Amino acid sequence: MIELEDDHLVFSFSDVHRDARLTIGFQRTLRIPDDGRKYPLPPGLGRFPLRHVDDFAPRVPGTWLTHGGVMMPMYQSEALWLHFSSSYPFAVKVATGKVDAVSGKTWTDGLHRKPQDYLVVPRQPWLDGYNVGRGVIRQFVAMPLGAGYTVEEQVTGEAEAGGLQIIVYPMTSESYERYTRRMEVFSRPALMARKARAASVGVDMGLAPGGRMRQEIYKDQYDFSDWDHGRSSRCFVHMANSLAWGSITGERPPHAPVTAAAYKRAGLPWFEFYGDGETVSASSVLQKVKSVVGLATVKGDVPLPENESVEIPEDEIVRLRRNLRPDQVREGQF
Amino acid sequence: MTNFGKLVRARREALRREDSRYSVRQVAQRIGVQPSYLSKVERGDVAPPSETTICKIADELDENSDVLLAMAGKVSSDLQDAIRKRPEVFAELIRELRNQPDHAVLRLVREVRDGEW
Repeated sequence: MIELEDDHLVFSFSDVHRDARLTIGFQRTLRIPDDGRKYPLPPGLGRFPLRHVDDFAPRVPGTWLTHGGVMMPMYQSEALWLHFSSSYPFAVKVATGKVDAVSGKTWTDGLHRKPQDYLVVPRQPWLDGYNVGRGVIRQFVAMPLGAGYTVEEQVTGEAEAGGLQIIVYPMTSESYERYTRRMEVFSRPALMARKARAASVGVDMGLAPGGRMRQEIYKDQYDFSDWDHGRSSRCFVHMANSLAWGSITGERPPHAPVTAAAYKRAGLPWFEFYGDGETVSASSVLQKVKSVVGLATVKGDVPLPENESVEIPEDEIVRLRRNLRPDQVREGQF
Repeated sequence: MTNFGKLVRARREALRREDSRYSVRQVAQRIGVQPSYLSKVERGDVAPPSETTICKIADELDENSDVLLAMAGKVSSDLQDAIRKRPEVFAELIRELRNQPDHAVLRLVREVRDGEW
């Protein structure tokens, strides 16, 4: 079952194993420049608030009630990343607008290995965007549904689903007992957002490909039969334009995060993560989608404000777990 | 008259004022009991009916079956089964929650609903 706890989605499968519990958080972050360069990982700037769509039934689109699930506010051109936390192995499919963020295939329940259309948690601690190259993703950036920028619209030609979809499959308890994997805890510091930004109107938001970032998506190192294909939980995460969030919920939306340039000027850190293991190949579908800036150039729009490139010195990049085995304790400076 | 009988009569009479199909006779017919028996139940002359009949009454009168069962001093069989399977866990849970406000209890047990997509 899935519950909401402190703005996290908590997936639990107590009938599979008492440890089978996965937490997924949606982190606000700065949008990296969409300029063709590859950037390191940006920080977390706090969690997006999550609410049950059913609690606001009279004020949300009817399709949201049909889909069920939860909703969160996003500004146009705001970015997010997903944080996975679990000691128990899970296969996690993530789609935006019902287009898989790893394989680029249109949504189906069920796991597929060739090409792999899921992430393996806890090996994969975060996901910041679409799989567009080996070790390279394009950042998740919110755009109004219907404007033509979302991956859904570029891949399917339709603006029907929007939002973000997640389905989670636990490992079978027998396989878990066999592997006795150990949990690794990774963290990217949460910093305070400081600056609000104007946004365009339109309630329903989708995700589009933004700037390029260095992030690996790891290959499934388990046997396909290790996953409990008969048990899954799924959730539709709707994205409401932050300008409409107040009229839907009566709550003030979070301020928009700082720009990459302002963050860099403050000398705050960026991150790189070094895991071990093979990574999945790029999705041929997602490689072909245009980034927001790329498409805007064709359309003659200017959808991304404050997109200037930033230089990030090597000494401002925090390297997490470089040259360490999964179970090796990192020694710091003291 | 028991609280259970009072509630059933009050609810049925309220519906009858709008719609004559909610007479004792017609409601009894739809839930599969004798009209005289339903009258006795409403007056509290007999013990509340079985779980199955209470659920039919709840359905007929658009009432919550768990509420009607509780007023009749009963617990639905599916809840009894759940408690019997894990008596210690549920006994402790219910005792812990008995003084909590509704919103705290709902928050504890609430699932995210999946729909069609």
